[in-house]
Amino acid sequence: MPVSVFRRFAFTYGTAFAIFYVFARAQGLALVTVYPSFGIVLVGMHHSRDVADPAMEFLAPEIWWYGWMGSAAIGAYAVGLVAVLLPERLCRWFWPGWVWVAPVIAMIGCIYLTLPWFRL
Amino acid sequence: MATALLILHGLTAVALLGAITHQALAAWAPSRARRRSFFGRFRAVQGAAFANAIAALYAAVALLGAIVYLYFKIDIQPFLERDRHWHALSFFELKEDFAAIGLSLLPAYWVCWRRPAREPSQMRAILTAILAIIVWWSFLVGHVLNDIMGFGS
Repeated sequence: MPVSVFRRFAFTYGTAFAIFYVFARAQGLALVTVYPSFGIVLVGMHHSRDVADPAMEFLAPEIWWYGWMGSAAIGAYAVGLVAVLLPERLCRWFWPGWVWVAPVIAMIGCIYLTLPWFRL
Repeated sequence: MATALLILHGLTAVALLGAITHQALAAWAPSRARRRSFFGRFRAVQGAAFANAIAALYAAVALLGAIVYLYFKIDIQPFLERDRHWHALSFFELKEDFAAIGLSLLPAYWVCWRRPAREPSQMRAILTAILAIIVWWSFLVGHVLNDIMGFGS
């Protein structure tokens, strides 16, 4: 793969991942839910309280982080692939600075989504 | 096993912290004058020489962190919730998010340092700074959480 093509992929992937990640986090779009105490992986986003008594939730802690990353990675990979396949002239409108602006905005978005924890 | 992985995760993170700090300072405050002071020598490194190592170390630290996270979720988080360490847990949530975003930036970061003559130095410096902030944040939060529970508790 030529460096210029990889550059196009890398810049669009980094930009799209940040956007998709914060969107997946906000909307609960986890690709998988992992239950480490049981060694179970379920497709989609699940809550322990959906299948167990809410008071027993601590027995089955769930992990969505892998799922959020998976959702964002697939979305970003698709966007990166489209950017690679597009002709060079169509990609000129893409400002390379988005590759750092989008992550900064996504990080601020993540701080906003975490604020409820601080109110506990 | 979990303790061994956590220690390995921490040691790799220390190496990453040192490398990214060197590179970030070299990118933002390059040393042009005679390098007599410690700070002058610290930032007088060739940033490009660190890029491969930083990308590899970041990926390794993230992978180890993702494995250790399984143990954290079962053995540590319930006790932190019981003791109402909500602020520490929220900082850890942010660590997860920032680490994931940083991981996705690695290809762009690597390209910027791979072709320093072709990419604007500003872009290189900003991406390096974002990664440095993420690494420092993750390191400090991980350290604080480890201190709350204590070794072997």
